[in-house]
Amino acid sequence: MNAPHSAGLAQHSVDNPESRDSKVSLTSSRKTTLQALTSAALVLPGLLLSPAQGASPSNDSVSFQYNRYQEGKRNLYNVHSNLKPIMVDVVHGSGNFTFYDRVKFSFSYTQDTWSGATPVTTAPLVANGNRPILQDSPQGVITVGASPLVQTQVLLDQNLNPLRLIPEGGKVIDPRTVLILSSASPETRNQANFRLGYEWNEAAVNAGGGFSLENDYKSSYGNISGRLDFNQKLTSLKFGAGYTSSETSAILDPDLLPYVTRTAYANQIERRSGSEILRGDRQDWTANLGLTQVLGKGSLIDTNIGYTHSSGFMENPYKVMTVIFINPDTLNPGSNSSITGDARALLEQRPNIRNQLALSSKYVQHISPVDAALHLNYQFSFDDWGVNAHTFEADWVQPLSHGWTITPRIRYYSQDSADFYQPYLISNQAFRKTAIDASGRQVWVDVNDPNQQFFRNGNDNFFDANGNLVDATELNLRPQLVSFDAAKLPQNFSSDHRLSGFGSLSGGVVLNKRFTKGVELEAAFEYYARASSLKLGGNGQSSFADFDFYVANAAIKVDMEAINSRMNKETGHNHANHDHGPRHAHGAHSVPAGIMFGHMLDNPGELMVGYRFMYSRQAGDMLRGAHQASDLSIVNEGCSDITLCRFTHTEMNMKMHMLDIMYAPTRWLNLMIMPQFMDMDMNLRQLEGRPPPVPGVHEHTGTGGHTTGGVGDTILSSLIKLYEIPGHRLHAGLGISAPTGKVDLKMRRMFQVDGGLFHFDMQLGSGTWDFLPNLTYAGTSDRWYWGAQLYGVKRMERSNESGYRLGDIFQASTWGGYQLSNWLAASVRGIYTFRDRIHGDFNEFNARIGPMDFPANHGGQYWDIGIGVNASVPSGKFSGNHFAFEWVQPLRDDVNGFQLEREGALSATWHYSF
Amino acid sequence: MKVTHFIVISIILFSGATLSGCAQIAPWERGNLAKSHMALDPNPLQSSIRGHIYGSREAAASINSAGGGGGCGCF
Amino acid sequence: MIKQANLLFAASLMFCLSVVSPVRAHLEGNTPPPHCQLSFLDGKLAEGWEAMKGEVVYVDFWASWCPPCVKSFPFMSQLTHEFKDKGLKVIAINLDESVEDAKEFLAKRPVNFPILIDASKQCAQDFGVIAMPSTYIIDKKGFVRHIHRGFRTGEAEELRRLIEQLLIEEI
Repeated sequence: MNAPHSAGLAQHSVDNPESRDSKVSLTSSRKTTLQALTSAALVLPGLLLSPAQGASPSNDSVSFQYNRYQEGKRNLYNVHSNLKPIMVDVVHGSGNFTFYDRVKFSFSYTQDTWSGATPVTTAPLVANGNRPILQDSPQGVITVGASPLVQTQVLLDQNLNPLRLIPEGGKVIDPRTVLILSSASPETRNQANFRLGYEWNEAAVNAGGGFSLENDYKSSYGNISGRLDFNQKLTSLKFGAGYTSSETSAILDPDLLPYVTRTAYANQIERRSGSEILRGDRQDWTANLGLTQVLGKGSLIDTNIGYTHSSGFMENPYKVMTVIFINPDTLNPGSNSSITGDARALLEQRPNIRNQLALSSKYVQHISPVDAALHLNYQFSFDDWGVNAHTFEADWVQPLSHGWTITPRIRYYSQDSADFYQPYLISNQAFRKTAIDASGRQVWVDVNDPNQQFFRNGNDNFFDANGNLVDATELNLRPQLVSFDAAKLPQNFSSDHRLSGFGSLSGGVVLNKRFTKGVELEAAFEYYARASSLKLGGNGQSSFADFDFYVANAAIKVDMEAINSRMNKETGHNHANHDHGPRHAHGAHSVPAGIMFGHMLDNPGELMVGYRFMYSRQAGDMLRGAHQASDLSIVNEGCSDITLCRFTHTEMNMKMHMLDIMYAPTRWLNLMIMPQFMDMDMNLRQLEGRPPPVPGVHEHTGTGGHTTGGVGDTILSSLIKLYEIPGHRLHAGLGISAPTGKVDLKMRRMFQVDGGLFHFDMQLGSGTWDFLPNLTYAGTSDRWYWGAQLYGVKRMERSNESGYRLGDIFQASTWGGYQLSNWLAASVRGIYTFRDRIHGDFNEFNARIGPMDFPANHGGQYWDIGIGVNASVPSGKFSGNHFAFEWVQPLRDDVNGFQLEREGALSATWHYSF
Repeated sequence: MKVTHFIVISIILFSGATLSGCAQIAPWERGNLAKSHMALDPNPLQSSIRGHIYGSREAAASINSAGGGGGCGCF
Repeated sequence: MIKQANLLFAASLMFCLSVVSPVRAHLEGNTPPPHCQLSFLDGKLAEGWEAMKGEVVYVDFWASWCPPCVKSFPFMSQLTHEFKDKGLKVIAINLDESVEDAKEFLAKRPVNFPILIDASKQCAQDFGVIAMPSTYIIDKKGFVRHIHRGFRTGEAEELRRLIEQLLIEEI
């Protein structure tokens, strides 16, 4: 009975367990950064080799995509949990370009932000792991409970079945297992890829690389791939190899830390300013070989084999294993007495080597009568962790009339459990016991000198190892404790349910519309259900981990080649026109990148697709009005009379990605839609002279910073041409901003205290419907251009759902620029901005730790200067592409209350009109 | 159980290939193969995101099977 | 049994790979083009290559579904526009399996050079067309001087230079 038992899977007979009170202690939520769970921990972007663009040449194109992943609630049985399930927002942009005939370049950028509750471990249901969160008292911050649920006691019968106390008295076997969830603050990941390729007539090579960055996980990768065609391209041989290097540096959850046994990783843990950081490196090598064979006029087959060798730290640093330690002395087979198990949490331990082999085959058949394509896909993969997996997939791609295509799809997946997966472990030894020496004597040690051992005789007198009596009153003697013997546990163990045996069924539909202009819109929806019972051959035995999710996405793709050829067609009889015709008179349309709504399309039917990136940074001094503020003045005056400030931010970065789609139905009217995606991060520091912490009340310190991100507000606008003579133009913009960005983002619970709502500046939108009027004048003469804009934001609601309203904005700017060459221009801009303070206040709990949490410390008057360059491609295949950059340098701040100084802002825009 | 499964299923899929033998398809007979919905990956925008999501929820190894081949046979 | 089937598959694959090395016609050089039976879209028979002696002929095999073929159309229009009067004849031979596809395509993109139909595909076979598009440039003497496969913008400039050169040549 030395081997640990795989609990939860044990067969048992219902006997009549005796009654005993099992006081199971409870816990809070845990986990600081959970990002590794969704993204990098299991799937490494570098392992997906970039396709060697096939025999069908890829067109020059740009695409943008938004995805929403939403999980359903996990089954927690009797516990009503208010934790939100995992949700991920993904923004993706990519481009494919032909540099020169046979040289192709492509890149992609992905940003995902996710939040929600995720399993940290699995335990018997009777351990009451998911305790409903108690509400705080009206005073706010008080700690509730003490010991976390990962360290608890579980009552077991002699066959090691968990026992539940029933209200009528007595105990019954309750074999149910449950996931223990923990919530997280939002986390953001950024990934960038590039690929360079060269094509011959019957071959291609590609080299690619990229990186993926998270707070706690960094990964970089490179790969090469190629293709050889034979047999008039009826047969293609493909090959690839890649390498990924990854680095984990996970801040272990301070809430959980005291209760997690992490001795196995002692030399990988670094202690820094009260946090423990678990570090680990990982390498992955991958290679694959594939063959595509055309079978007939309407069918082809594709087979691939891929091998991946991984080594290093493959654990998820936030997953723990529940190990129930039982005292061997209490085991009494055959008796009815129950055993009290000591449930402890150990960081999971996965093998340091993994070899995976995957074989896939795909068959594509054209269905002539309806001009559809049937895609059948089967993949088998296995590895030395014992995970055998089968994937079956069928897609029916059905083109319809008017450029529509609809694709219903279905997928079935099944995997075996990894050898070392267990929901939880039972170990037949004490977690910690008093040390006994070889002759059966209990060992005592001096707390101040743990190396010296003492013993006690029958008269309660202590003597040392040499048998000399010692005066116990002069020493601080304690019984020596020894921890469990790790060798009695399995070498590897994980309760990550993604390594359990299960099956899943998913289905969805993709809808695609191709416009003649070379623009393509795509929307897709997929629903996925994991079920232990769906596993091939049954016997998944992990139904407690069943869950479902859906993924929805929308994408726009601009095919530049289609546009070019359409242009050619239109100018088809103007044969001398080599360069696809003039698109824009340069200079006439140059406005600095930081100006929104500054550009109008001239021709009815014209369409423009653009992308705008804005980055702004605050760092440096704290200001009061226009002058530097001392810490002491912030402490005493920055917050409120009853709450003094304890923290302030040291830096705040905001990034915004905006898609800009503009259409000109008539000559004088343009319509625009501009969805936005935000992410921001903030770091805090303690103020000098702050009031001391209240005992028992923990404060979130922002150590390691915190981030938020996701969909921001969406702008809908119209531009109306008011006046135009050669060289001068005046237009007005009337827009609204729809509150699609969240304003109720909350920090995760920490130290059993609600994190509360994030600071005002970290919320993703205004939360109100806003009116955006603006007026722009632009002039040109020869190579000079100039202009001015008045821009305003008026909040049209009294308050948003979180109880406050951002300040109105008024901005005036004026600029002048010079066209340096036919493709490059430079400009200077002066900007004045007035921004009102925030009105109203949070209607929900916010920690109120510093000036950024008080409405009066927002808004002010700002003066800036902007230096910009504009570049446009005048001719050739990339003509019609416009780029602009502007750096806005603050000159003077006069802020309301106390605020962090601004460091500057960068705007970058790209647009393409056709 | 492991590899045999794969082999059996592959053979079912491949039987089409063996039966049709080495049908020579002339360069001008690839109108259907050239259609975008006959491409090995008909919805490339979907593939990367789906691969990422499955990969983060399942433990199977992944290989990218959209490495080219098929298509219009154009030079 | 599984092993055997697998072996069978592997063997047939090897067979596929080995048997079909393309039969490339050795046209390039001082060889006249093969005789072809071609017709116009309206069914009228086209004249043979012999009738075009003294002209540089740009023969292009194409199909409406072939993206690089479509890309080459503006180039052929331009060649026709620039060099028609200097003795260049651009002939685009359509290989669509259904002539209707070609007609539909041309209705959307009218061209300024003649389109011929190779109904039996015999001409394409005799020319040894192994890829789409395939271009054969016939000099004034009636010899195939250059074969070009595929269409890429940069390479089109080389073709233009070659044509200019051939146009200067005396018979």
